[in-house]
Amino acid sequence: MNNLFEYVPGNSFIHRLNPITKLLLTVVICVAAFVTDRLPVLLGLLAVNLLFGLIAGVAGRTWNILRGLLKIAVFLFLLQALLYRGGNPVFWIITDQGLLTAGKVVLRLVVVCMPLTLALAVTRISDLTNALTQVLHVPYPYAFTLAATIRFIPQFVEEMNGIMEAQTARGIPFDTARGLKKFSMIVPLCAPLLISSVRKTDQTAAAAEVRGFRLRTRDSAYKRYPFSAGDFAVFACCAAILAGAILL
Amino acid sequence: MITLEHVSFSYANGQPSVKDVSFHLPKGEFAAILGPNGAGKTTTVRLVDGLLQPAEGRVMIDGSDLRESRVSDRARKVGFLFQNPDRQICKNTVREEILFGLRTVRPDLSEEALQARAEETLADFSFTGKEEPFSLSRGQRQRVALASILAVEPEVLILDEPTTGLDYRECCHIMDRIRKMNEEKQVTILMVCHDMEVVLDYARQALVMADGRLLACGPIRDIFRDTALMEQASVLPPQMIGLGLRLGGTFLEADTPDAMADALIASLRKGGTEK
Repeated sequence: MNNLFEYVPGNSFIHRLNPITKLLLTVVICVAAFVTDRLPVLLGLLAVNLLFGLIAGVAGRTWNILRGLLKIAVFLFLLQALLYRGGNPVFWIITDQGLLTAGKVVLRLVVVCMPLTLALAVTRISDLTNALTQVLHVPYPYAFTLAATIRFIPQFVEEMNGIMEAQTARGIPFDTARGLKKFSMIVPLCAPLLISSVRKTDQTAAAAEVRGFRLRTRDSAYKRYPFSAGDFAVFACCAAILAGAILL
Repeated sequence: MITLEHVSFSYANGQPSVKDVSFHLPKGEFAAILGPNGAGKTTTVRLVDGLLQPAEGRVMIDGSDLRESRVSDRARKVGFLFQNPDRQICKNTVREEILFGLRTVRPDLSEEALQARAEETLADFSFTGKEEPFSLSRGQRQRVALASILAVEPEVLILDEPTTGLDYRECCHIMDRIRKMNEEKQVTILMVCHDMEVVLDYARQALVMADGRLLACGPIRDIFRDTALMEQASVLPPQMIGLGLRLGGTFLEADTPDAMADALIASLRKGGTEK
């Protein structure tokens, strides 16, 4: 999780795409996953995600995302399969419709979670912020807020790990506890995490202010973000994905 | 008390590692690890507390291999003061903070005994107990973190850059309290510190590290006098030692900083010619 949002340098076709195109592809995949109710389409969207990761040269990151989602996917699958009441019984209280619904829920979860993480792995946060302000005319403070949120996630994870390590050294058994017991021990530690986060946010805000944060406009960035032929090809793919999800 | 035998460790992401480090610190020793950034100092102290597991070799505290117990089980015996006190503090008042540490590692003590020990620690650190830790200055928060560790009375105390970001007065408060614990209760201290003046004033032994290797281990003045070693480890000796070396005086044999200062003045009066 700590490096799940870190930029992976590269020069792949996906790396060279306009950040807005990558963002659009992400949105389209997510929308398509919610529009469709068919298992083959969801499988197709999963294949698109995997292809995205392979072309971008971040197969390792793609695998890590899938591995990270495994536990919650298994939990959701079992929950859906056990609670769904329609269809013909297959085993105990599990029905064929229950299995199908559980499969779709899990696939939808995986399909929705993957593209943004993959897009962030192949897009510099600064490029994303600049492209949002230049191309989509998003006010810079909003674009900066989005970028800061993404940038802070791994820092918060690192901070939480540091807090847990320090508490373990004080005798709190984080190194032995599992599951709910561990979770109950984490809850009181949210206070120091919250306080350090607010402090960090304040410091970042002050640093941004002294660097002329309020003077920045959409023309301030030196780098330009024009759309290339590759971007238009991806637009066509996006249209095809959306049409496929609606019509199939 | 602390023994490392041919310990090696490397991080998966290529951060500084340690290679074949061996040393022994007897009970009651006060040692400092010196070296440039990336030398492996923090990694070494984390290995000593068991927060990291060595890839090779073994780490022993009081004769017990750390692999045989968990970090949380060792908290009664080994205290660790981190560079950032905010990671250790998690309660709303200083009293609660001290009691939290005590209750965690001393479940054998009665509530009255815990309260009495907390009271003693609060008085010792000049806290009323009602202060809100997160409203205090950084130096005071570091003192709160130290107080909650020392209340437990560990046998080994590991300090990872305890004086970073503190002014001289706060630094002295913290280090004087640590020295008191070392001298009165024979607590073994292992400290990572970049402030050579603090090292000279408080530590008795020095371990010099560079590129993950232990270059030397010995009495603090012998280490500081070895100019070739200091250069190899990119460490600048304290000003007094540096001046003494340039003057070539014998005052470096003095036991205390005050005695060194007196000898230095005498050496200067003689014109700095004494060899």
